[in-house]
Amino acid sequence: MIGFLIRRLLQAAIVVLIVTVIVFILLRSIPGNVAVAILGPSAYRNPATLAQFNAQYGFDKPWYSQYLLWLGHLLQGNLGFSWTLDQSVASLLGQRLPKTIILVGLSTLIALIIAVPIGVWQAVRRNKPVDYTFTGLSFLFYAAPTFFVGTVLILVFSVKLGWFGPEAPQGGIVSDFTDWRDLTLPVVTLALVTIALFSRYMRSSVLDNITEDYVRTARAKGASRRRVLWRHVMRNSLIPIATLLGLSIPGILSGALITESVFNYPGMGYLFYQSAQKQDYPTMLGFIIVVAIATVVGSLVADILYAVLDPRVRYA
Amino acid sequence: MGEFPSTRRRRRARGLFAAACGAAAIALTAAACSSGGSSNGGAAATPTGTPVTGGTATFALPPSTVPNYIFPFDSSTYFSVTNSEDFQYLLYRPLYWFGNGSSPTLNASLSVADPPVYSGNKVTITMKDWKWSNGTPVTAQNVLFWIHMMQAVASSDWGAFVPGGFPTNVSNVTATSATTLTMTMNKAYNETWFTSNELSQITPMPEAWDRTASGPSHCTTTVSDCAAVYSYLDGQSKQLSSWAGSPIWSIVDGPWRLSSFNSDGNSTFVPNKAYSGPVKAKLAQFQEVPFTTESAEYNVLQAKGTGGSQIDVGYLPTIDAPPTSSPMVAGHNPVSGYNLSPLYTWGINYFPLNYQSTTGNAGIVKQLYFRQALQYLMNQAAVIKGPLKGYGLPTVGPVGTLPLSGVSYLSPTGKQGDPWPYNPTKAKSLLTAHGWNVVPGGTTTCTHPGTAATDCGAGIKQGQALSFTLPYATGTTWIEQEMTQLQSNAAGAGIKLSLDPRPFNQVTALAAGNCVVAHISCNWDMGNWGGGWTFVPDYYPTGETLFLSGSGANSGGYTNAQNDSLINATLTSNSVQSLYNWQDYLAQQIPVIWQPNGVYQLTEVVDNLGGVTPQSTTLNINPENWFFTK
Amino acid sequence: MTATTVPSAPGTPGAPQGAPAALPATKPRGMFLRGLEVFLENKLAVIGVILLAAIFIFCFIGPFFYHTNQTTVNLANENLPPGPGMPLGTDQSGYDILGRLMVGGQISLEVGLAAAVIATGLGTLWGAIAGYFGGVTDAIMMRLVDALLAIPTLFLALVVVSIFPPTETELILVIALTSWLTTSRLIRGEALTLRVRDYVQAMRVMGGGSARAVFRHIAPNAIGTIVVNATFQVADAILLVVALSYLGLGIRPPQTDWGGMLNAGINSVYDGYWWQIFPAGIAIILVVIAINFIGDALRDSFEVRLQRR
Repeated sequence: MIGFLIRRLLQAAIVVLIVTVIVFILLRSIPGNVAVAILGPSAYRNPATLAQFNAQYGFDKPWYSQYLLWLGHLLQGNLGFSWTLDQSVASLLGQRLPKTIILVGLSTLIALIIAVPIGVWQAVRRNKPVDYTFTGLSFLFYAAPTFFVGTVLILVFSVKLGWFGPEAPQGGIVSDFTDWRDLTLPVVTLALVTIALFSRYMRSSVLDNITEDYVRTARAKGASRRRVLWRHVMRNSLIPIATLLGLSIPGILSGALITESVFNYPGMGYLFYQSAQKQDYPTMLGFIIVVAIATVVGSLVADILYAVLDPRVRYA
Repeated sequence: MGEFPSTRRRRRARGLFAAACGAAAIALTAAACSSGGSSNGGAAATPTGTPVTGGTATFALPPSTVPNYIFPFDSSTYFSVTNSEDFQYLLYRPLYWFGNGSSPTLNASLSVADPPVYSGNKVTITMKDWKWSNGTPVTAQNVLFWIHMMQAVASSDWGAFVPGGFPTNVSNVTATSATTLTMTMNKAYNETWFTSNELSQITPMPEAWDRTASGPSHCTTTVSDCAAVYSYLDGQSKQLSSWAGSPIWSIVDGPWRLSSFNSDGNSTFVPNKAYSGPVKAKLAQFQEVPFTTESAEYNVLQAKGTGGSQIDVGYLPTIDAPPTSSPMVAGHNPVSGYNLSPLYTWGINYFPLNYQSTTGNAGIVKQLYFRQALQYLMNQAAVIKGPLKGYGLPTVGPVGTLPLSGVSYLSPTGKQGDPWPYNPTKAKSLLTAHGWNVVPGGTTTCTHPGTAATDCGAGIKQGQALSFTLPYATGTTWIEQEMTQLQSNAAGAGIKLSLDPRPFNQVTALAAGNCVVAHISCNWDMGNWGGGWTFVPDYYPTGETLFLSGSGANSGGYTNAQNDSLINATLTSNSVQSLYNWQDYLAQQIPVIWQPNGVYQLTEVVDNLGGVTPQSTTLNINPENWFFTK
Repeated sequence: MTATTVPSAPGTPGAPQGAPAALPATKPRGMFLRGLEVFLENKLAVIGVILLAAIFIFCFIGPFFYHTNQTTVNLANENLPPGPGMPLGTDQSGYDILGRLMVGGQISLEVGLAAAVIATGLGTLWGAIAGYFGGVTDAIMMRLVDALLAIPTLFLALVVVSIFPPTETELILVIALTSWLTTSRLIRGEALTLRVRDYVQAMRVMGGGSARAVFRHIAPNAIGTIVVNATFQVADAILLVVALSYLGLGIRPPQTDWGGMLNAGINSVYDGYWWQIFPAGIAIILVVIAINFIGDALRDSFEVRLQRR
């Protein structure tokens, strides 16, 4: 077990390193003069500032020496300084990350609470009208583009009905809780897609487990259907879902990007988009690193959890 | 994403040259005395009802922008309207204020000093009796503090610096008393120019800022101390969370002080009781709120205060603009409870042609008749009427067309309108008359190479085609539509324009700089970033930055001896006639292809808020003039 | 005992249940028919096929019968509601919406299909090679995949899109480059289990090489996984293009795709121009739903095949 852990950790570290190299190369391949992008075209009047920028950030050196420089900073805990937002990337992350975590966390939680029972119900009533209805609904929500859903929700529930605010809470983290009504629509928008996805997973998982031999054995031994369902099938079905959560982090963040943009919620996703537009490489790199580490750690934890919870995996 | 490219970044122009003596600044005084009567948003209704004091007004910042620098000494990265006009100017008044309604002229009453008095190559600045919020007066030493800092670090850290410009064109600056400052320029310049373009760069700083981490310093008296002071203040400015309570930043001389700032960009201002200016704030609070996109802002506008988010002064996404027949008057407002008022910037719009192109087309670009033909094919009137829905003004030359009434820098000839109205017949005949075989719908080629009057011109080969790649910035619908129109108009004369849509940053990186001076690739013929040029804070539109030979921002590398000498004349002569002469000449030379100056913003003002219009084309905002009505 | 299985996600068929006993492989023709039967039993899938076919015909054959000008901006006709001569009205540039729906659909479907095919091809090859060879090769190849997977798709797409000019081909490449990763993981999983199968071992004993193993045995037997995954990829690709259009990174005018139409329409939502929003939105939803129905049913029918093996 320890050996397995160490090996996985090592591999995880290598993966993160590979991520940094890939992203670094990609960013340096973007055409256009970064100095002009950051300093503005007015900088042409004083070419010294352009040269100063290039020298300061190593653009006059080959990409690998820039990379090593950046890596060196990273290992010392310095995530860099945003060129356009006048703060260190670490402090930007410190402000934006909690907001996205709240949005994503809440919507994932709600999605799970709703999706798990629905998935189970669908599996139990397989191929009956209930199953078809929910299948249809979940495909509907999966297919509806996020910005479309968000805008329609705002139009109906905020502008026309006035039940909720048209934008997410604008204060700090505290306002996310005090103005929870304003957080409703963004959370619902993000949750809808996640519900669709998770209920399908849950349905498949339960279906796979229901046909297992141990279920038949338990029933033969006299256990009620409900007991079998809740004590045995559910637990086994949930294990893969737990591992899936770890792997879904990147996907959910992509969805958050659009939701944050529609609802004027300056979280991590939207900040990444902003930095991409302005070619603010330090911020982009910093965020991608953090997300990559989170994902890798997430999937590592998921794998370990899976191995711990499901003895069969350990010996496979 | 938004409808307009980030023209929110200011363009700046700085002087390079010296000039002769100046007479009394008749033009300057006349300009200063013309009050803000010329309105910009003519038909915006003023609210009826009795004005009340108090209330909180919320101002929507342009999409995807937040203030991120409070120290008024902005370096290039932080040089933007959001930081200066929308934020710092509320707290720290520039020495001289420009903007009288839609006139970009000196506003004497809002300035911290009396209009400067010139005598030969000396200028004397007399401070008014203004006070900082900590009780100390705003003195000439405060101005000297700023100038010394410029002398120390402007070349690397002042976003508007131009080699040879302010303060290097000043040989001596002295504070002769607490209220008087005398400057000796290296030559006698045009007074309007020096005031509007050089002195406009000054913001007085309080003595309390003259310090480093270890204690008070002496930048006000000794230039060599300034670099350390700048570092300290720059560092303080980078700690955004500390702005609201900071002992440094809370010393203000403007009508407002910052009561809270959250790093997402939400700022709250309260009136500065010690403000010495003419108009004190009537509101209890002024708030600025950021938005991710125009649509997000529009959602909040339409929701009219649901959930507690109210916008009092916002903007209409241009895609929803109601068509209008008069650029200054908005059409029917799709948002009820608000008044719609178009805002134009003081500037011109154009896209450059590269006279230094290495693609082989430089010879063609250098021919005046070709530029005339291309300009004839640019249908500004149709673009204004169609894609811009009426919210645009044609660019008739190197000087902006605003204001439409009252004192302006536009020459009488310029006031007559577009000298190159759409005329495909003339375009074709120009080409034919100069040795081209015009093939409408096909490719026009040169059949008479040579330098005679009826030949194509120097550097053009036999059979060379009129074929160009035209990169343009994506994200602005009207620019995209304008480019497609130009492409199809040009095709009618056999000119092949291959459109190449690219992100804004890539187009500016390619085409905004003089490729030879900036040592970048010259392998381009044209490039349209859609935003042209805004004369802020180079309010007097002499052409030394954009059109003088060898200037770094002279994107295409246009060079013309007569143009150069006319520009030099504008910098030295005090007569506005020199400005007229130059602009009339250059308008005829078409150094760049002029395109319409589209509306900067369609401002929505809530019904019961007055004092917001007329809006200033210098993009200053004056919330101290605003008031709610009952 | 059956081996443990990864849950059958919407996009992934379950890893194959271990062969219950060494049943002789039945003739392929019989398998295909059996799979087809299962497929046709699923009513939703049949609806999906019909829907998809109808949409294809609408988009690709439609323009021959319904001519509209989709390249010239005609601002005199902008934002007209549905009426005589224009069943779905016009958009903000004066283009006829019905015609635009057809033309946009062509691009959406082409991008979806092409991206899915390329992603599947690349992913299958990568995964098969990694899974078959195992060991260090597998570790290196899959770590690379893990690295790319750790970057959110939209983040990656944003960066890649800034590098290439915005054309249909570039969009296809961007989406393919961000989508092949999950396929490769799946196929690798398949390859890992398949390579220990008796018939592969037998082939190696008889002297067959690795390439032969990969192409003649592993890939075809993972066909179920591949096909189902590819199907869902098409839907995901279409959705990704829509997301990119919202971020302003989609196809440039005068070309368009459904995502671009939806995005343009959404901006006018307060003007009440419903005909600019719902046609494209409904088209996207219908296609994605249809594809998902088909994918689901395909998965079921392949599972039947597997069970009989």
